Amino acid sequence: MAGSHPALNGDGLAGETGEAAIVLEGRITAYTAAPVWRTARDTLARRASVPITVDASRLEHIDDVGVALLFDLTRQQRPRGADVRIRGLAPKFAALVEAYDPEDLAQAPRGARRIGTFEHIGRATVAQLAYGGRIAAFVGRCAAAFAHALWRRGTIRWNEVLEVATEAGANAVPIVLLVGGLMGLIVAFEIGLVAQQFGAVIFVVNGVGVAMLRELGPLMTAIVFAGRTGAAFAAQIGTQKVNEEVNAISTFGLDPVHFLVLPRLIAAALVLPLLVVMADIIGIFGGALVMTTFDIGFLQFYHQLLGAVDASDFLIGILKAATFGLTIAAIGCERGLSTGAGATSVGLSATSAVVSSIVMIVVIDGIFTVVTS
Amino acid sequence: MESQASASIAISVRELRMGYGSRVLLENASFDVKRGEILVILGGSGSGKSSLMKNMIGLYQPMAGDISIAGKSIVSASPDDKARLQRSLGVMYQSGALFGSLTVLENVRFPLDQFTDLDLAEKNLTARLLLRQVEMGAAESLMPAELSGGMLKRAGIARAMALGCDILMLDEPSAGLDPITAANLDRTILTLRESLGFTFVVVTHELQSIFTIADRAIMLDPVSRSIIAVGAPVDLRDRSDDPRVRQFFNRQPTTAHPAGIHP
Repeated sequence: MAGSHPALNGDGLAGETGEAAIVLEGRITAYTAAPVWRTARDTLARRASVPITVDASRLEHIDDVGVALLFDLTRQQRPRGADVRIRGLAPKFAALVEAYDPEDLAQAPRGARRIGTFEHIGRATVAQLAYGGRIAAFVGRCAAAFAHALWRRGTIRWNEVLEVATEAGANAVPIVLLVGGLMGLIVAFEIGLVAQQFGAVIFVVNGVGVAMLRELGPLMTAIVFAGRTGAAFAAQIGTQKVNEEVNAISTFGLDPVHFLVLPRLIAAALVLPLLVVMADIIGIFGGALVMTTFDIGFLQFYHQLLGAVDASDFLIGILKAATFGLTIAAIGCERGLSTGAGATSVGLSATSAVVSSIVMIVVIDGIFTVVTS
Repeated sequence: MESQASASIAISVRELRMGYGSRVLLENASFDVKRGEILVILGGSGSGKSSLMKNMIGLYQPMAGDISIAGKSIVSASPDDKARLQRSLGVMYQSGALFGSLTVLENVRFPLDQFTDLDLAEKNLTARLLLRQVEMGAAESLMPAELSGGMLKRAGIARAMALGCDILMLDEPSAGLDPITAANLDRTILTLRESLGFTFVVVTHELQSIFTIADRAIMLDPVSRSIIAVGAPVDLRDRSDDPRVRQFFNRQPTTAHPAGIHP
């Protein structure tokens, strides 16, 4: 019955004998036990040296919390001659209370062990080194699988590649257009305001062109791609790992890397450059749109742009994009395959795939800048 | 105000129609769960046993009909009342449904943390006793990801019992357990009913478990989408006129042979 009347508790001295008594009555349940338990413990603490009788004869009903309460009262460490006795407890409840071994429950439950700073640093270092090793081994496996697939023609699952490419590429077009267009607008506007003070507005075109083609196009698209597709790869493969689908693939004698990872790597390396082309175009168009407010028309913009950038700027951007695509897909798939057990681990894999991907994208971008400048 | 008859009924299902989308799994089903009994819901795979349980818990909305718990309808209840009714049910889901980010002990303590003002030590003691009732004492500081299927289920039962609900709903408690663990679990269920007076609704198709624990069983049939039998399991096995019921209890294969195989 919900909303039952709380159990009453009284304690008093049975004068002459020097004994104390606790009376339990009514129903003791999870909802009503707290005050009763507290009073009973107080009584036990205050009368530490006299025997205590717990009168349970008027208990109507107890649940597990009530059982725990009674057990707690009986297991107290008390001086000799001052023990706690329960009287009048219905046999069915008594059987429950007596079923437990106070020895077994004497020790507090083990919580998580606290780790010191040095141990933490040490563990983190070991984990990072191990992760580096795993990534290297994984890249090796991917390369081997790719070489194997090239060697024996027809073993790449092109249907799967196409499916992944549609999901990761075609379906990402709107968001890539939005982000790319806004990037062009913002960059043109920010540089334009500064350049206006020097009467160098026309050179904003150079800035927008180089920035979009070499840096912002690939970088922003890759970050969107990491959040959308890298996370999805990790979550998909992670779920398959948790559901033992990856084991099923292995026991059919198939290589999970070849079966699951390779199509994703190929699709990502092909599709990200295409997305970057769109981001480039829409970004530059956005820049041109802003430049009209600085009195530079589309035609003038176009001629200035032709002089400012050449094919190498565009191609470097595309090469970057392909590298980013491979990196994001590899990290996503690796995180997915190294997912542990349980639903939380899938989430962890997806998160760590995005974070690692973005860090790696920026690092690779830096390397490109140094090498190609 | 309640009459004697309705006070002895824990859950009452009336003219229930349920299913998914346009697919009807069960039609015109009426039955009662009496207080203190162990009712088993039987049926082959896909007959809607688990779905029926989820309708009774109020997780799914039935297509028609009514389900009441302790005399109050859970179908037409306001969200607050529904939450209150649901809190009076302890539920163990098929896979245990433990929270992956908490240890086993914290999982069992979770409802106590949410709904009682007990001290941490008291909640811990209660949770540890609960875990010992289902023989999971040694696993109290493990994470759910480290447990086997049977251990997950037992921890799930301990968590379902934590608030001392009158009614415990167990979805396939013994499926996938080894015979000894399954027998222990059956014994635990019987003990809990004896001592703490729980009412049990158990979804299962483990024959041994059914004969050990069930006071009454209701059997669902996916073809006729109805309850085809109600009664004590032994009676159903020995006295039922329905060939489908006898077939289930005697564990006989379907008589029609698959295409292409001739005996």
